[in-house]
Amino acid sequence: MAKRLLTYENAVRWAPLLVLLALMLLFTAINPAFLTERNLARIAIAAAPALMVAVGVTFIIIMGSIDLSMEGSISLTAVLFCFAFVQFGGTLAAGAWLAVPLILLAGAGIGLVNGLVHVRLRIPSFMASLAIGFVCTGAAILVTGGDIVKIDDDVFRALLTWRILGFPLMVYVAALGVVVAWVILSHTRFGRHLYAVGGGEELAHASGVNVGRVRLVGFVLAGLFYAVAAILQVAKLGQAESVTGANFMFLSITSTVVGGVALWGGIGGAWNTLVGVLIVFVINNGMVVIGLPDYVQNGMLGVLVIIAVILSTDRRSISFVK
Amino acid sequence: MSTFIKDFIEKETISRRNFLLASAAGLTTAAIPGVFGGGAAQAALTDPAIAWSYRDRASAYWNSIVSGGEAFVESIGKPKDFLVNLINEGSSEKSLADIKAFLAKTNGNCAIACDANDSPNARPVAEAVQAAGGYISTIWNKTDDAHPWDFGDNWVSHMSWSDEKPAEQTARILIEAMGGKGGIVHLGGIAANNPAVERLNGLKNAIKDFPDVELLDAQPADWDTQKGAALMSQFLTRYGDKIKGVHCANDNIAYGVIEALKAEGIEGMPIVAYDGNPEAVQMVMDGQLLATVFTNPHWGGGITAALAYHAAIGSFKPSEEPKEHREFYGPTIMVTAKEAADFKAKYLDSVPTYDWTDHWGPSNGQIQYK
Repeated sequence: MAKRLLTYENAVRWAPLLVLLALMLLFTAINPAFLTERNLARIAIAAAPALMVAVGVTFIIIMGSIDLSMEGSISLTAVLFCFAFVQFGGTLAAGAWLAVPLILLAGAGIGLVNGLVHVRLRIPSFMASLAIGFVCTGAAILVTGGDIVKIDDDVFRALLTWRILGFPLMVYVAALGVVVAWVILSHTRFGRHLYAVGGGEELAHASGVNVGRVRLVGFVLAGLFYAVAAILQVAKLGQAESVTGANFMFLSITSTVVGGVALWGGIGGAWNTLVGVLIVFVINNGMVVIGLPDYVQNGMLGVLVIIAVILSTDRRSISFVK
Repeated sequence: MSTFIKDFIEKETISRRNFLLASAAGLTTAAIPGVFGGGAAQAALTDPAIAWSYRDRASAYWNSIVSGGEAFVESIGKPKDFLVNLINEGSSEKSLADIKAFLAKTNGNCAIACDANDSPNARPVAEAVQAAGGYISTIWNKTDDAHPWDFGDNWVSHMSWSDEKPAEQTARILIEAMGGKGGIVHLGGIAANNPAVERLNGLKNAIKDFPDVELLDAQPADWDTQKGAALMSQFLTRYGDKIKGVHCANDNIAYGVIEALKAEGIEGMPIVAYDGNPEAVQMVMDGQLLATVFTNPHWGGGITAALAYHAAIGSFKPSEEPKEHREFYGPTIMVTAKEAADFKAKYLDSVPTYDWTDHWGPSNGQIQYK
């Protein structure tokens, strides 16, 4: 006897994906050009850096904290990446590839500082990460002096221009990032600890989980993913400046929640985040493609986000929402 | 408590009390100058502090404004850091609060250059400066009904740039490159910003003369590279090959457009931009952009501070100047492939030295209201 398919739990679990498919059907019905390979690739390009940010913040949200440092973190790592890239020869072939591991380390370092401030100084993650984000933005302005740093290397830009099966290389990099995050969350002990901390910190602590260390590693991982996002963003635009990280905070947290990762922790995963990011970018793209006037677009995005959250989170199990 | 904080709180309390009293009488604008004896009877200030209040350090444009301000303070024999930076980060509330704090700190003995961030904020800023007896010159944002000459000598001047004509000119260059026919998309600034409206109007004016040219779509990209790239790729899905030319409201958007086209392997699309930032001028030289428009922010930044300062020390009396010296347009310079190299050598590779006592030389006539 098969288990009942149409349970409330199943409905909630699959709701984000159904919302995504429904949106795609809707936009395609109004303008068939929406569902062309070219347009799907455009959505994927726009979404790739944001997806890495959202995956990064997913680690943090799952353990019941919040990370608001992404805008500053991305701006700073993007700018440093461009400087390092130019410093190491300006082309991948000349040795500029060194900038990649260097910036991943820098990103992880920022995450570590974030985690240390939060865990060791016992400052709420909300305040700690916000403050670190501001520091990073300031540092990015300081090192650039407000100027744009450009990268002009066709080999590096192949991340944007080289296509496999119609999608640029950077989309595959982002996909790989999601798989890595999924493995970490679902198939490692650390991943289970993240859920345990998010589900109930006291209980996790009582069960012998080193909560402080789990939090630290979570922030380091997030910082690492932000650095990947920064590199993809530079690949996408060929430049970095102190506002390169702008808008990522709202975008990534909204996407994560829309995909069904609960802000109170312990619920959701990498696939939820992937679907959430796609929902937000499909809406953004679709609204222009079907020709919605610009003054309706923001309002529409807000309404759709609320609907998606209503459908995709199991709110029966929580007694209050803050 | 430090005396500064004490002074500040005292000032704030006094001005709030006055504001309440005046509001109660329904005479906010008229009453405050009355309380302080009005601007006309003021004596000139000696050695006023100088500040620039602006959005942020994260763009070439505002950095250029600040460099002009610093060049001016150096010209009066002060170090660069004599210029106080009041950065509002795009918040009108912070803009006003910073200026009030600066007025309190200097006791009104100050000259302020300012972009009020949005139009409605210009009036409360000017009122605060007048109430404290300081001097202010503004650029870009103010409402049409607020005029410096209604604020005695304290609101020295307002400079803006009329973007409609230059944007129309870039549109004509664009249409010419398109062979006089085909579809254009416009990627605009923040929808409610004055320059965004004017730059789109300029495009619309130019299109009227070309029956075979169609404005396919115009949507805001918020002055932003990232949004420019995303919006351009969405336009490509909606209009595809119908797009024969791209009209961008500023250089930053154009950078994003160029990258979005690069991702699609589209080359040689006619694109025009606005602002004349160094990167964009280079792109004009490389043939990636057809044209951009330079508004000389370095001069704008210097002269705005200079006007406030010289009015403050009594070099001239604003209320005795004609109206075209109180509200005027700043200079605009068209940069196309033809003049890009000369332009770069003259304005970007080396910064020209300006005579900061020539207050109105490069300006462009009195501001006209429709």
